[in-house]
Amino acid sequence: MTWVTKSTAAPDSTTILRGLSSRRRVPVGSEVYNRLLETLYDEAAVLDERRFDDWIAMLSPDLVYQAPIRLTRTGANKDRDVMRTMFHFDDDYTSIMMRMGRLQKSAWAEDPPSRCRRFVTNVRVGECDTPGDYEVVSYLFLERSRGDNPHNETLTAERRDIWREQDGAYVLAKREIIVDQSVLGMSNLAIFL
Amino acid sequence: MLKQASLVLRDGTTLDDLIMQDTNEVSLRVMTDEELYGHEMERIFAKTWLLLGHESEIPKSGDFIVRDMAEDNVIIARDREGGVNVSLNVCPHRGMRVCLGEAGNKPIHQCIYHGWAFKPNGDFIGAPVERESMHGNNVDKATLGLKKARVHLYGGLIFATWNIEGPSFDDYLGDIKYYMDQLFCRTDNGLELLGPPQRFVLPCNWKVPGEQSGSDGFHTLTLHRSLMEGGVMGGTAETIYDQAPGMYGVDVSCEQGHSLRCLEAEKTFKMFADIPFEGKSTEERLNLLTPPGITKEMIPELFKNLSEDQVEQLATFPPQVGGMFPNILIAFIFAPRTDGGSSGALALHTYVPRGPNHVEFVNFIFAEKDAPEQMKRDMLQNSVQQTGTSGTIEQDDADVWPVIMRNARGGVSKHMTLKYQALHGHERPEGWKGGGLLYPGFTKDDTQWNWWMAYHKLMSES
Repeated sequence: MTWVTKSTAAPDSTTILRGLSSRRRVPVGSEVYNRLLETLYDEAAVLDERRFDDWIAMLSPDLVYQAPIRLTRTGANKDRDVMRTMFHFDDDYTSIMMRMGRLQKSAWAEDPPSRCRRFVTNVRVGECDTPGDYEVVSYLFLERSRGDNPHNETLTAERRDIWREQDGAYVLAKREIIVDQSVLGMSNLAIFL
Repeated sequence: MLKQASLVLRDGTTLDDLIMQDTNEVSLRVMTDEELYGHEMERIFAKTWLLLGHESEIPKSGDFIVRDMAEDNVIIARDREGGVNVSLNVCPHRGMRVCLGEAGNKPIHQCIYHGWAFKPNGDFIGAPVERESMHGNNVDKATLGLKKARVHLYGGLIFATWNIEGPSFDDYLGDIKYYMDQLFCRTDNGLELLGPPQRFVLPCNWKVPGEQSGSDGFHTLTLHRSLMEGGVMGGTAETIYDQAPGMYGVDVSCEQGHSLRCLEAEKTFKMFADIPFEGKSTEERLNLLTPPGITKEMIPELFKNLSEDQVEQLATFPPQVGGMFPNILIAFIFAPRTDGGSSGALALHTYVPRGPNHVEFVNFIFAEKDAPEQMKRDMLQNSVQQTGTSGTIEQDDADVWPVIMRNARGGVSKHMTLKYQALHGHERPEGWKGGGLLYPGFTKDDTQWNWWMAYHKLMSES
């Protein structure tokens, strides 16, 4: 999968693309759906429990991991609010590994670590053109507790994933995180979404 | 008439009690005091030049973006003549925001409340039901436009101020312009913004990141220790304090409070490869270590747009990080990638006040307009991975600042002081061509103290 990122700050390049694009739906309750749902639950637990080696094992080496920014738009362009020219995350497998290496050392932003709980819901699955690849769209609700602050930082997002069947399991080949805030209320993204 | 230290808070505390010039200390109370914040809005943010964006965001007639000059929301729009206008986003009729979107294209901005309409330059067009003169019977339409700010474009960066008769932009920049030009005015077609800025809010006063933007070089060694551990800045975890990578250079500053850290290219370069600069011409040096964002093909443009002295400095002591008073951080960083590439990262931040207890971090990410598409792509990734929301460098800053803020609220803690007592004193290095206040050697507190002195000066003038 190639990503064409034409660099421009002008908002006309904004696209509407959201949700599931595959027309071949994998029905709720089917075996593939259940296994993918289980994978998403496992992934949330792996990240919440900070078992990063286990997370890396769930990632494909050709991973594309991005979180485009949102804009507030009006009028005829009011639904063109996902800017795919600028990102909160713009990562690949190599840079995720770099982030992982940092987390083992002096990454003060996560030392002491956040206590996170990732709630994954509204899961919809479709078949991709490539056999064994599945488009998985989910909602993410993140609660993040920091230090002695009794108020959690929260974040909501839609995640548009491609999961690939490999050796009887699924690996994440692509994730686009569409956050809902145009101005994030979270003071950093030292965690993964 | 000069009225020094005319600022007195209701409890009798003066500005000199908070900013102690005899001992180079600043009371932590400045970070939380609501009364002081009110004065800052009038004496600093309604008076000085503020960065709002880049003209590459509004290329066409009618294009607009909406930004904040501190807590004043403004529309930045391109008019039919190609001019860039900054107008207060407050309808003169009943105080509603005229423009509710963040960006787009509109030939006319019409308030949704009672329909008053304005041109991109802020001029009043009219109110609905023209025959009834709903804008008033005896009021001149020319007086009913949106309040206009004074605008200046510098290297395509859009600056504005409410101080219509105040200092020119060049006077505001002062001696630092010589160095800023090396970053913002060095190529034929200049910089472009790669996308709209990242925006996020931190629970701390704007001055917590603000004073750091006065070229706090020292914190890189400790807070950003992971840069050294990861080999990005050379050395290893064991040699951090012996080698102190990135600490030595020439910090430049001026009485307006701006500053830049100019790091010796040869030493920066040695972090990546051992090729000495000795005996090499400016052009050869630029080819060995092209400044962040510049391609080898663009090197002739540097000579065309800058003076010979400026290019020589860019080749030997390139400005890399710093800031403009009051709330701009500049990062033009050499950013070697794990895959061997090194196209650099160019980012500017504004720290926009959102009440005394919050600041909006706005992260603008740039590349040279004429850079190849792949280089822009690399630079976007470099910048996003190192700065702003998920940036591995600035994640750590965002974690520290809110904690300082909490300390500043304590009845005892707020009387603690920030200390700027590691001072070098102005000293002109031999053969140095640029002006301003110069601090060669290990980075110290001088430039940040100059930031506070600029703050003191503006806050003293009512």
